[in-house]
Amino acid sequence: MSFRRFTNRTRKDEDLAEEIDSHLAHAQDANSARGLSSEEARRQAYVRFGNSRSTRERVWRYRSFPWLEDLWRDLRFALRGLGKTPGFTIIAILVIAVGIGVNTAVFSVINAVLLKPLIFPDQDSLVDLMNTSPRGSGGGASVPKFKIWREQTSIFSKVAGFDFGGAGLNLTGGDKPQQVQGVHVTQQYFSLLGAPVIQGRTFTEAEDSPNGGRVVVLSYSLWKSRFGGDSKIVGSTIQLDGQPYLVVGVISKSFVTDTPTDLYLPFQFDLNTQDQAHYFMVAARLKPGITFAQANAQLKLAADEYRRTYGPRAMGPQDGFGVVSLAEAWVGDSRTSLWVLMGAVGFVLLIACANVANLMLVRATGRKRELATRAALGAGRATIVRQLLTESLALALTGGMLGLVLGVVGVRLLLAMAPTYIPHVGENGTAVVPDMHVLLFTLSVSVLTGILFGLAPAISASRPNLVAALNESSSRSGVGFRTGKLRSALVISEMALALILVIGAALLIRTFMKLQAVDPGYDTRNVLTMAMSISGNRFQKTAGVAQLVKDGTDKLTALPGVENAAAACCLPLDRGFGLPFNIVGRPKGDAPFTGGGGYLTVSWNYFNTFKVPLMRGRMFTEQDNGSGPGVVIINEALAKQYWPKGDPLKDRLLIAPGARPAFAEPARQIIGIVGDTRAAALDRKPDPMMYTPIAQMPDGMTALNSRIAPMFWIVRSKVEPHSLANPMAAALLVVSGGLPVAHIRTMEEIVVLNTSRQRFNMLMLTIFGASALLMAAIGIYGLMAYSVQQRSREIGIRMALGAQASHVRNMVIGQGMVLALIGVVIGIAGAFGMTRFLESFLFDVKAWDPLAFIVTPVLLSTVALLAVWVPAQRAVRVDPMSALRFE
Amino acid sequence: MSATHSHPSGVLFISVVILVECKLLGMKTPPDAGVILQGTLDMLILRTLVMGAAHGYTIAEVIEHTSENALEVEQGSLYPALHRLEDRGLVSSQWGLSENNRKAKFYRLTGKGRKELNAATGRWRRMTRAIGLILGESHE
Repeated sequence: MSFRRFTNRTRKDEDLAEEIDSHLAHAQDANSARGLSSEEARRQAYVRFGNSRSTRERVWRYRSFPWLEDLWRDLRFALRGLGKTPGFTIIAILVIAVGIGVNTAVFSVINAVLLKPLIFPDQDSLVDLMNTSPRGSGGGASVPKFKIWREQTSIFSKVAGFDFGGAGLNLTGGDKPQQVQGVHVTQQYFSLLGAPVIQGRTFTEAEDSPNGGRVVVLSYSLWKSRFGGDSKIVGSTIQLDGQPYLVVGVISKSFVTDTPTDLYLPFQFDLNTQDQAHYFMVAARLKPGITFAQANAQLKLAADEYRRTYGPRAMGPQDGFGVVSLAEAWVGDSRTSLWVLMGAVGFVLLIACANVANLMLVRATGRKRELATRAALGAGRATIVRQLLTESLALALTGGMLGLVLGVVGVRLLLAMAPTYIPHVGENGTAVVPDMHVLLFTLSVSVLTGILFGLAPAISASRPNLVAALNESSSRSGVGFRTGKLRSALVISEMALALILVIGAALLIRTFMKLQAVDPGYDTRNVLTMAMSISGNRFQKTAGVAQLVKDGTDKLTALPGVENAAAACCLPLDRGFGLPFNIVGRPKGDAPFTGGGGYLTVSWNYFNTFKVPLMRGRMFTEQDNGSGPGVVIINEALAKQYWPKGDPLKDRLLIAPGARPAFAEPARQIIGIVGDTRAAALDRKPDPMMYTPIAQMPDGMTALNSRIAPMFWIVRSKVEPHSLANPMAAALLVVSGGLPVAHIRTMEEIVVLNTSRQRFNMLMLTIFGASALLMAAIGIYGLMAYSVQQRSREIGIRMALGAQASHVRNMVIGQGMVLALIGVVIGIAGAFGMTRFLESFLFDVKAWDPLAFIVTPVLLSTVALLAVWVPAQRAVRVDPMSALRFE
Repeated sequence: MSATHSHPSGVLFISVVILVECKLLGMKTPPDAGVILQGTLDMLILRTLVMGAAHGYTIAEVIEHTSENALEVEQGSLYPALHRLEDRGLVSSQWGLSENNRKAKFYRLTGKGRKELNAATGRWRRMTRAIGLILGESHE
C-alpha cells in the first residue's frame, strides 16, 4: 500500500473539486453542442455526474484511516458535550479520580513489594536456607550448618551468612559516641547479592577467618553522614567499641536490604566449632540449571550427614534442610495483607464505576431527544454507542490522570501510616515510585473503568424509541422502565459492595479493640526502655556484665522520678531467645529434652519494674548472683504445661543440657512462679517462660548475648517517662565508661509498634469502607433525588388530588429503602463468602462475627435512610400548582 | 449473435464493478475477486490512456463511445479510480488546457501503468475465456 494516499489530503480534495468542476464544464459544453439551452445543458451535466460531494467524500475517506477520524471527531464532540455540563463532568471525574487514586496508591506498594521485590541481580537463583521440620520451617543457622551448606558445591555457587545487626556497636573517636548497626556477614555476602563497591574492596577470605584482624566495610549512608564522604577513608581506621578497625571499602547506596545497616563486619567463623547456637541467616545462589527440587534433594543428603556428624540432639530424625526463594522468604506474610487491600480498593473502584454509570444514565436520559434525533438522521446504534463510550473514556482517562496524581500523593500518606513490617519499600518508602508498571496499571484501569461505567448506559441509551422520544414535549418525562431498572441494579450493587467493605472494616476494628483490651501481664504505663550495645571486650564474661548491671540499676534507681530500674537481655514484644531444658530426675523417655521455653536473663528487680505478679515462691534478690546457688523463676504457662500436678518449686531445671563447657548451666532450683506475659506478640497466647539472673549466666552465654543482642535498661517512672531519657542516658554513659544508648522507647510505644500492623490494616479498611459507604450513599441519594425530580408532576397531581404529605414521603423513602435493603441482603451474603480472606488478620473475632454482621447492616441502612430522607423531604415540598403549571 | 450477448452482460459487469468499488472503499472484500473486478474499471481507464493523455471527461466519453454505449461509467467512481491509479503510480497527472480551452487535469500512462495494463489485459482474457468455456461459447 502506498503511503501517498494519506498525504496532502486537503490540497488533493481541492484539486478534485476543481477537477469535478472541469468535468461538469466539459459535459455542459458537450450538451450545449447538442443544441440544449445553457440552463438545460448545465442541469443535465449535473444530473449525469450525480452527487459531486459524495464523490469527494469517497476519495476523502479513501485517503483516511476511518476509525481514527471517527475517534477524533467523537472525542471532540465528547469534550464539547462534557464542557457544557461542568457540574456532571467535575463530579464524575472526581469520583473516578478517587477510585483510581486509591488503586494506584495500593498498586504502587504491591508493585514495589510483591512484583519487583528484590533488587539483586539474577535474583531467581537466590535462595534462603531453611531448617525444615514437621512443625514448619524457618531460617536460622549455626556455624556447623553454615559449614555443611557451604560444602554443597554441587548445587550452590555461593553461600553467605549474615545477621541483622544484633547488638549494635559503639562508634567512638569522634565528638560524640554513636551507636551504629553493624551487620556481620561472611566473605561471599557481597558477591552473592551483587553489592556494588564504590571505594576499596570487600573482605578477603583471610579477613573472614578467625584472627583475620579488625576490618570493616562502610555503608554509603554512614560514610556520608559520619565521615563526610571522605575520599581517603579506605585505609584509615575507625574506633568501634574502643578498638581500631581498618576501613577496607564502601558499598554503593544502590545496595539496599531491609536491615538498616551502617557498616559490615566479617563473621570470622571458626568452622571447626561444635557450637549449635543459631544466630544468623544463610542465603545462597543456586548453580545455573539447578532447580529447587534438585537442591532440596541434595540438602536431604546433607541433613543425613549432619545428623551423623553432630548427633540427633543437633538435628531430630524428622528435621532437615531446604531452600525457598529469597524473594518469597523476604516478602513473607505482607503478601496476603496487600492483596486484601488491593481487593478492598478494587471494590471502591467498582462502587465509583457504578456511581459514574448512574450519572451517565441520568445524562443519557436528559439527552434522549438528541440521541433520537441522531438515530433518526441515520446514526447507527454502533455509532451512538461509540460516541457515548468515547465520552466515558474521555472522563475515565481524565479521572485516571488525576487519580495518578492522587495515587502518587496518596502512597506517601499510606506509607507514612504503614508500620515497618512492609518490606522492600526502602527508607521512607523511596523504593515505591510510579514506574512504568504503575503507569500502565493506571492506564489500563482507567480504560477498563471507562468501558465498565460507559457500556451499560451507552447500550441502554442507544436503544431509543424514536417516535416516543421525538414526540415528547421535553426531556422532563419519566425515567424509562429499562434505565430505571438498570439504575436500581447499580444502586443495589453499590450498597452490597459497600456493605462487604464495611463489614471487613468492622471485623478489623473489633480485632484491634480486642487487642487493645488484652492484658499483657505487665504494666506498660510509665516504663521507659533503652538499648545499650555491650559488644566490647569488657563484657565477654558474666562478672563484667553483672557489675555493669548492678552499677547501672543502682544509679538509675537513684535518679529522681525513678521508682524501679532493671536490665534484661530482651524486652517484651521484641526479640527473644528460647532454650530446651530437662527437669532433673524426671524420666524423659526417648526425647532429647523434657521440654523447652522462652529464656530471659534479667536483673533481680525486673519483675517489680514491669509489675509482673508473683504467684508463688519468691522473686530474685541481689543475693542471687554468681556466688549464690543457681535459681530460676518460671511462669504459670510453663508450670501448667510441665507440672499438671505436682509442685514445680520442689524441682530443679537443667537449661540447655549437653551444651559445651562454656555454655554449661548449673541445675537451677525453681524458686518462684510469676504471672504469664504476652512476650512474643499481644495476639499470641503466653509462651512458657524461664527467667534467670543475669549475674548467674555461664560466660559463654554472656559472650554470645553480648555479641548478638544489645542489653536493655528499663525504668518505671513516677513522672512522665520521656522526661527521664536524658538523665538516664547521662547516668548510663558514666557507669558504662562511655557507652551510648539507643532506641529510647516507652513500653507503650513498643505496644503500639507491635500492633501497628493490625492498626494499619484496620485504618486502611476503615478508610476504604467509609469512602465506599459515602459513595454508595451518594449513589442512592442521587437516584432518589433524580426520581423525585422526574416525578414532580406526578407527585404534584397526587397532592392536588389530596395525597397526604406523609404518604408521599413514605412512598419515596419506601422505594429508596427497598433498593438499599436488597443491597444489604446481597451484601451480607457476599460478606459471608468474602470475610474468610480476612481470617488470618483477625484476633479473637470470628470471620462471621455476629456483632459486625448485625451492626454494619443497621449502620448502612441508617445511612441509606438519611440519603433518601432528603429527596423524600423535597418531594413533600413539591408545590402542586407549580408542578402542574411547569410545562 | 455475439453482439446481442455482449450487451446485457457488459452492463451487468459494470454494475458488479461499481458494487465492488463501493465495498472496497468502505469495507473488506474477498481478495481474489476484488483484484480482478476492481481492476476492470482501472484496466479500461489505462486502456483509454494508451491513445494519449486525457482528462476525466474524455476518459469517460471514450469508454462509453468505444463500447458503443454499452458500458456506462458511473462518474462518481471514475475519479476515485483515477486518484487510486495515480497513488499507485500507474498514471501521472498534470493540469493543462483542454480542446475546449478549459482548465482540465490530464492523465498520462506511466511505464508502470503500461505494464500493469498488459498484465490486466492478460488476466481479463484468461478469465473471459474461462467464463466463456463454462457458458459453452466458442471463441474460435
